[in-house]
Amino acid sequence: MNAHSETAVGEPIVSAPFFLRGELIEGTDVIQKSRDLGVTFATPNIPFDKAVPPRSEVPPLLNVPTAEIIDFLVETGQRLVAPDNEYVHECFDRMASTHILPRSVFENVGKHAVAYLDKRILQAELEQNFPDPKALDGWIPKQDFNGRKSFVRAYAPRLIHVLPGNSPGVAVKSIAQGALVKAFNLFKMSSADPFYTVAILRTMAEIDPEHPIVKSMSAVYWRGGDAAVESVLYRPQYFDKIVAWGGGDAINNVVKYIGPGFQLVSFDPKTSISMLGREALESEESMDIAANAAASDLMMLNQEACAASRFQFVEGPQDKVDRFCEKFQRCIADRAEASGDVRPLSSDLKEEVEALMMMDDEYGTWGRADGKGLVIRSEEPVDFHPINKIGNVVRVDSLDDAVKWVNVATQTIGFYPSARMADYRDRLGAGGAQRVCPLGEAGASTVGNPWDGMYPLHRFVHWMVNENGIDGG
Amino acid sequence: MSTAIEKLMSYVDAPDRFDHSAAELRPLQIEALNERFQDRKDNIKLLRHRADEAGVTEITSVEDMVPLLFPHTAYKSYPESFLMQEKWDRLTKWLGTVSPYPIEDVDMEDIADIDDWISRLAAKGHYISCSSGTTGKSAMLIAGQKDMDWSKLDTVQVFAWGSGVEPQANRYMVGCAPVAAVPKNQTIGEAQKTAFSKPEWGRWNYPVPPITVGSLTKMVVMRKKMADGVALPQEIADFEATSAERQQVIDDAITLTADNIIANRDKLLMVSGMWSGLYAVAKAVRDKGYSAKDFNPDNCIYVGGGLKRAQLPDDYNEFVHQTFNINPERDFQNYSMQELNSGMPKCREGNRYHVPPWIVPMILNKDGDALEPYDLNGGEIEGRAAFFDLSLDGRWGGVISGDKISLDYSPCACGNKGPSIRDNIARYADLEGDDKIGCAGTIDAYVRGVA
Repeated sequence: MNAHSETAVGEPIVSAPFFLRGELIEGTDVIQKSRDLGVTFATPNIPFDKAVPPRSEVPPLLNVPTAEIIDFLVETGQRLVAPDNEYVHECFDRMASTHILPRSVFENVGKHAVAYLDKRILQAELEQNFPDPKALDGWIPKQDFNGRKSFVRAYAPRLIHVLPGNSPGVAVKSIAQGALVKAFNLFKMSSADPFYTVAILRTMAEIDPEHPIVKSMSAVYWRGGDAAVESVLYRPQYFDKIVAWGGGDAINNVVKYIGPGFQLVSFDPKTSISMLGREALESEESMDIAANAAASDLMMLNQEACAASRFQFVEGPQDKVDRFCEKFQRCIADRAEASGDVRPLSSDLKEEVEALMMMDDEYGTWGRADGKGLVIRSEEPVDFHPINKIGNVVRVDSLDDAVKWVNVATQTIGFYPSARMADYRDRLGAGGAQRVCPLGEAGASTVGNPWDGMYPLHRFVHWMVNENGIDGG
Repeated sequence: MSTAIEKLMSYVDAPDRFDHSAAELRPLQIEALNERFQDRKDNIKLLRHRADEAGVTEITSVEDMVPLLFPHTAYKSYPESFLMQEKWDRLTKWLGTVSPYPIEDVDMEDIADIDDWISRLAAKGHYISCSSGTTGKSAMLIAGQKDMDWSKLDTVQVFAWGSGVEPQANRYMVGCAPVAAVPKNQTIGEAQKTAFSKPEWGRWNYPVPPITVGSLTKMVVMRKKMADGVALPQEIADFEATSAERQQVIDDAITLTADNIIANRDKLLMVSGMWSGLYAVAKAVRDKGYSAKDFNPDNCIYVGGGLKRAQLPDDYNEFVHQTFNINPERDFQNYSMQELNSGMPKCREGNRYHVPPWIVPMILNKDGDALEPYDLNGGEIEGRAAFFDLSLDGRWGGVISGDKISLDYSPCACGNKGPSIRDNIARYADLEGDDKIGCAGTIDAYVRGVA
């Protein structure tokens, strides 16, 4: 990983320091390139021996009560949104050069994510993820019908988190969850955001540099797939689990290292959709309401989020569906304009969209292929992945016809009207879907609910048993 | 009266065709670009759209052409469902959006499959070639009879210039690669055979079933079915069994070809293929105990395409040459792409690919939307390769490639004054790496086994 070329002397280059269990490590040993914008930034070499604590060390958080951890996380949250937090300011300044989203958008997301660091939310996470959250704090006595006794512990795991590049909010959540399960955590940051995780950890260290939470957290960057790093770190002798977001090459790289003792907890790449019943087309008012709600779901993180809707199945005749498309496009364009996001479409995407525009008797299009909000109406989902403020309205005679397009990559399905959810959820589950919700509410979820088909904290921990015999205890 | 395009194309067999500097040719090239643009702007629907969007009405400089270049992906922008559901009329209509000539009177009755559709189009003078990608969509490149006639001429000229081999019809030709059975490849193959192969010896065709657009498309269709979750387990089992059989045939072809070369080692040979195939055959020949000493020192080699992501040892080039006794003087390499209609041969003295007068090279930024600064009087520029091939008649000649190249307007070490390309061509797709991770994604990440 030292083979990267140096940039020309004098060119200003953003520095991305590492955080290793309380220690900030700065350096310009390696010149890296961000994935989306090709911006260069500098990092130190990874001090491997600091990033991997020896197995002889009991995890620092093991015997810190979860109540104390929650208090510390809550305090961290308060400091993160404090106007005088220099780490966060500086981090957003740096991110502005590497992130695909406009500053105002990721800044909002970053701040919004801090709301997760709330006492009631964190407690609810523990209560929903574990039948008995006390198993995190101590050895829980058990006895079976034979009279055999034992103790069970949700033992603190060693986790590598491979963070996604699309949403800065994930850093907040991952740090909190890693702390709640008392893990020793190594965060692999993304090239789009090699800063925010470190800013959060520095904020923690400022509260108490010797706190066991701080001593349990490290954050570094390497280029995903770099065998010189991954082959060293991805070993069961060092870590129990790798918590990875994404798919394709990102996961294929990780999968190579999975084996006995080194497990994958994957947050898979997801596509979200909307289903609008004919009720949406009943009147101008209902169309307005539905178009607005559909645009709200589509524009989550300006359509960079996994819960952001990409395909909208609309039940009804073409003329009414087209009227809806017109309103829908306007709602998207308004939100796009308000966000200040002016990214053009990638040339491949533009090419595909323009081909459909040429085939105008088969497809309807509203807006232009300019990244400012576009709706394409078709009889089947388009081949490409709608991204950068594009809605693909698929006209159907009945929502029953839309069910076949749900697959194992489908995450959220927003319904209008919500009364129709109950008719569909069983069939959608069989197809592979994970959640249904009222249209317009793709972003919100009940505190402590499962994610990606699982209770993640439950998957993170290393369940350990202390058998105590028939007469023991 | 001869047009600017005709003047430039008349250089095709001029021995000094690469010796004209860009500064000398540029005024004529601009005139030719405008001729072509004026002639096509109302006939190619996609071009019309581009020109309207960019507000271009006339080409007065190379800059004017940039927004009118088609990315290499333009020819695969057809909706895949047309293929899946065999909507031939719709696919024909899509083709019409990139064709300068109306596609009319094509018999659409009872088309059996995509190969049948392609042959019906060919019957009306529309020749479809496809890109050789194995996953994802195939590009469908439309061309006409004039393009075929040009290819015939150009391929022989390019090879003769680049290898120093005169077309004397005195060699035994050995194909070391499966060739896609598309009109352009067939035309090129025929032309080379006529020019270089001794008629009574014939030609060794690589012993694998022809790769047709249909066979390439099967893979695409299967992938889509897997993604949509409608591929049944037995269907996948059958598909994989067929793939395994096919692989066996491909493996056998290497040995059969090596045996044939050895049996004909006393003849003057012209071996052809892509590096991966040539290397595999060369290795088989070596394994059987034969090498340079057993072959004629005047043998020659025709290499088409780059490495295509093949994993080969560092010394693959020397290994192949030394196996077949190819003199370094005879080292031939050509830079081109399916989207173009002409080749750019590499000179032996300067080791650079030379751009002919009828191809206007443009170096764009990585995004492909603006020219990198350049000076026609000299200097090397690095960036995304784009070309306007004025020899193309049956489709728009302006293409943005996926390649990163270094173009120099200074004279080459070989003495020629025309623009030339350094031998370090790379694909952007290979340079980007795969440091991508995010929670938003597609079903593509869940499909395995058709890569």
